[in-house]
Amino acid sequence: MTTATLERSTLSDTAVEQFLYLEARLQDEHRYDEWEALWASEDTLYWVPRRQDADPAREVSYIYDNRARLASRIRQLNTGVRHSQAPKSSLRRLISNIEISRNGDDVEVQSNFILIESRRANLTTWAGRTTHMLAPAENGFRIKRKTVVLVNCAEAIDNLAFLV
Amino acid sequence: MATAPQIQSVIDYRHLVQDGRLHGSLYTSPQIFADEMEQIFHRGWSFVAHDSEIPNTGDFVVRRVGTQSLIAVRSKDGEVHVFYNRCPHRGATLCQTSSGHRSRIACPYHAWTFALDGRLIGLPDEAAYPADFSKADAGLTPVARMDSYGGFIFVNLIPNELTLREHLGHATELIDALLGLSPTGRIQLSAGWMKHKMRSNWKMIVENQVDGYHAPMVHGSLIAANRTFATVRDRKPTSPTRVRDFGMGHSDIDHASDYRAAGDRLFRWTGGIDPERLPGYVKAMNDAYGPEDARRRLIEGPPHSMLFPNLSLAEMNIMVIEPVSPQHSIQYTIPVFLEGADDLNARTLRRCEGAMGPAGMLIADDAEIGELTQMGVANLEPEWIILSRGMGKEEVLANGVKLAGLMDETSQRGFWTHYREVMAASQEVSQ
Ligand code: FES
Ligand SMILES: [Fe+2]
Repeated sequence: MTTATLERSTLSDTAVEQFLYLEARLQDEHRYDEWEALWASEDTLYWVPRRQDADPAREVSYIYDNRARLASRIRQLNTGVRHSQAPKSSLRRLISNIEISRNGDDVEVQSNFILIESRRANLTTWAGRTTHMLAPAENGFRIKRKTVVLVNCAEAIDNLAFLV
Repeated sequence: MATAPQIQSVIDYRHLVQDGRLHGSLYTSPQIFADEMEQIFHRGWSFVAHDSEIPNTGDFVVRRVGTQSLIAVRSKDGEVHVFYNRCPHRGATLCQTSSGHRSRIACPYHAWTFALDGRLIGLPDEAAYPADFSKADAGLTPVARMDSYGGFIFVNLIPNELTLREHLGHATELIDALLGLSPTGRIQLSAGWMKHKMRSNWKMIVENQVDGYHAPMVHGSLIAANRTFATVRDRKPTSPTRVRDFGMGHSDIDHASDYRAAGDRLFRWTGGIDPERLPGYVKAMNDAYGPEDARRRLIEGPPHSMLFPNLSLAEMNIMVIEPVSPQHSIQYTIPVFLEGADDLNARTLRRCEGAMGPAGMLIADDAEIGELTQMGVANLEPEWIILSRGMGKEEVLANGVKLAGLMDETSQRGFWTHYREVMAASQEVSQ
């Protein structure tokens, strides 16, 4: 690997990581419209399966949002009276173990997260592995596909009305 | 040594559950919760699983009924058996996963091994047991009674005097209505259950399942954000939709009365899919039931009902309520696939995800309100909950079924009337 390609890949890996951190911060701070703007304009999928290796064509998922449903979810949150997020949960998440692979222009990113949710007297820990499919775009990337496999997806889980 | 005097705290359910009001302690008291597990969930019929969840020999699911963990498994002869999830040897839990497939059931502790019909078929070093040890007496313990209707399997752990058919009463019509949306009369619960932690008493979830009063407030955000959801049915107090009390604690919100009044449109219950997009399903229904009856079924849609104590036929979803403690429950949700309706099933799946479960645009908000209500009733005053909306104005049919307006609390009163009978009657016997 030449110095030039090494630098380029290092730089773009940093850009990918920065993009994940930006997305995490927008989710943590309930900046719904800015988060939605990170998504590509069509053919997107936001998927939270109910088990690892699920077949979403036959099995129910916690979230299986195409672009239109994602927009509907955001519109609902933006009403301010989505009770399960009014008041909003206080959230902070850490993202780590980032692994990046490239296929042409597209970037596949796998990462782990730990998320702490504070809501009334409850402090809830969420964790999982996220796979992003990102496409390069002006000022960074757009999300084409995001899959979040919660570590406890097969167990009973609390309300998941915030953006995970 | 003298023992402390026994506390005689017999709970007076006839006082706590009155016709138009309820005592707040019904949702908070650990003693009442313990009574309910015994009197309602162990001594009465409860839903445990659907036949279609375990289609093949060796398929099993593990379910909680009351305080008990049960295994429902299909044996070689095709029969379903429901056993306590407890090894007869020294008590280990036999099945740890919530579902799976096994050719036999082997205990993880000392490897006693059981056939799918419960017989003990092997144990290490059998000769070491005394001569009077009988393998025939050491099989898995089945529940006392098991019966099914339309593939819905119910159990009764401590036998009461009712047959399942007597317990279901008029509610069989609700099951029939759901099954009758399939051209073959069968449903498949194969999509997996979402499990949702609810920070509320199980009875609040029961009440909310058939509450026609809360939607404009609790679901106002979805009504505002989603046009289809907003327009598919009439939610005003003047809506033609009736709530019904079927007796035996079963009740529903009869949206069919709204769909019928709206007239000629099929499939309002799917969110208004154009029938032309479901040609295979419509044809199969016409072939099965004839055009006129098929049309009626496709206008009226599925029931929106609560069957005492834990099964909700929630339109194209089945929901099951599992009590955990006075303040905690788990709500299970699965979409209903209709046999012979693949084109509709794909849409039912996506619709379930949009509305139901922990991330659903509908149910997450019900869960939140349930939690707020649970927190609210922990306060001692005012002591009573008011449940009298529409009381005395119900229409009573010849068969005893009560009808009232969409926003009337007739459906909840139906639940509580039966609850009071079950809780008070069993106590009066035991005294
Ligand atoms: S406890 Fe099951 S084999 Fe011993
Ligand atoms: Fe609701």
